[in-house]
Amino acid sequence: MSEIKRNLRFIGTLISLRARRLMAFRLSFFAGSIVDSSLFITWLLMFSAIYGRVDGIGGWSRGEMTIFIGTYSLLNALNMTLYFFGVIGLPGKIKSGDLDHYLTKPVSPLLRLTFEKVDLGSAPLILVSVLIILAGVAEANVAVTLCTALGYIALVLCMCVLYYDLELILRTIPFFVISASSIERLEGAAFEVCMRVPGTLFTRGFKILFYYIAPYGVMATVPAQVLTGMATPGGVAQALGILIVFTAFSQWFFRFGLKHYKSASS
Amino acid sequence: MRKYWEIAKLSFKVQIAYRFDVCMSMVATAASITFAVVLWGAIFGESETVGGFTLDQMLTYYVLSAFLAMLDMSGGVSSEIGDRVRNGTFSKYMVVPVNTQGYFIAQSAGVTGFYLTFDLAAAVLWTFLFGIRPTLTGDVALIFAALTIIALGLLFMVQFNYALGLLAFRFLDIGPVLIIKGNLIAFLTGALVPLSLLPDWLTAGIRLFPFYHVTYLPAMLLIGKNAGEAALGIVTLSVWLLFITALNTRAYGRAQLRYDGVGI
Repeated sequence: MSEIKRNLRFIGTLISLRARRLMAFRLSFFAGSIVDSSLFITWLLMFSAIYGRVDGIGGWSRGEMTIFIGTYSLLNALNMTLYFFGVIGLPGKIKSGDLDHYLTKPVSPLLRLTFEKVDLGSAPLILVSVLIILAGVAEANVAVTLCTALGYIALVLCMCVLYYDLELILRTIPFFVISASSIERLEGAAFEVCMRVPGTLFTRGFKILFYYIAPYGVMATVPAQVLTGMATPGGVAQALGILIVFTAFSQWFFRFGLKHYKSASS
Repeated sequence: MRKYWEIAKLSFKVQIAYRFDVCMSMVATAASITFAVVLWGAIFGESETVGGFTLDQMLTYYVLSAFLAMLDMSGGVSSEIGDRVRNGTFSKYMVVPVNTQGYFIAQSAGVTGFYLTFDLAAAVLWTFLFGIRPTLTGDVALIFAALTIIALGLLFMVQFNYALGLLAFRFLDIGPVLIIKGNLIAFLTGALVPLSLLPDWLTAGIRLFPFYHVTYLPAMLLIGKNAGEAALGIVTLSVWLLFITALNTRAYGRAQLRYDGVGI
């Protein structure tokens, strides 16, 4: 309990330091929010054009698809705000040897790496995402109960952890190879596909790839299904199972990677 | 003219060092086509035609638009200008005896020339791997018109990205602008969804802008659609090209006076 308190106080200090630093670049403060909002707005326009011609896509109505896009936007917003800018710095620190500074401090290196670059400028994107989701709920005419709302929030938080796991796994690979930029670019390509279409549309090889190998297809789909009443207990259990496996693996993989850290720049 | 030819040749050769980027370019094309196959496969499971497209025409459209989008390598022009202005090394382009616009056009032409073969190979490879039955036109006039529009479109995009790069002389950090530009261009060029699926009034408005003609129109011409718009496309792009070239010349003249060559 005291360790949790200590870690929370440490995270608070990191956020405070980061906020002060970001304030020095006021013009770029909200850049992340504006940039990502433009991305999700173009996708909404894209689906609006498609739904102008069809009634449904694989069983997803316009409102349900809006909820899906809003959910992905929300996951992306939480990712950008909380840990994205911290985790993406890991390969550079491994390569330059700067990870030494993290290992010698009396706090978990992963905790510091994860939360040292909290980006408050991305937080408005959370609000934009919530507005998209609310618009989708209104359009889909979904009756949201307290139970489904809480279930949705809990699953979004769980999928946020899954998102973190996937980012961490890919950025742990540089412990073993010189550069993992190729893997990061593949991640971008997979992410691009899965952010645009609900995972239920994938079949055969794509289903295996985006559900079990790189489960980007699960992340927004299952919470959106819960909110729209399309989820099955089996589907939710499967998503949670994937989360547990990937979380356990990412933590083990990071520790395993640390053992192979050469502490030498290249 | 010879020096620009040399710049293009050099840019072509430099790409050989970045073989990995070529592979990633091919993977990016696959992402776009995978998205189309999954999404439109689900949609056409419920309908025979959508917006006048059959499934084969729609997938062919996406293969072509992905190919054309990857062929446009001019995005690096604006980021290079932005980076160099910010760190004070843009002086390199001021001291060499070439026209800066011409330099970047030649550089992009060299890079595009290198990628042309690989992007074409990727398009053919994905077409077969995804089992797409291509529905290309056999009309030579349409193919010629499409190729002309593609060339004009690529030239316009270099000039457009050059114009965005010049903003760095005033604002220094143009990174966010470039990312937003990328998102909007993907939509406006029809790389995300065929523009004919948009409401008619919106398509009519977008048609006045050059982006409609950069990817969407040539892709449609190559699948045998929108034949009546070929001449309009050539005229529209030519007018926009003249406009943006004049604008860039004027803007660069002013930017040179503003530039301190120090960087931050």
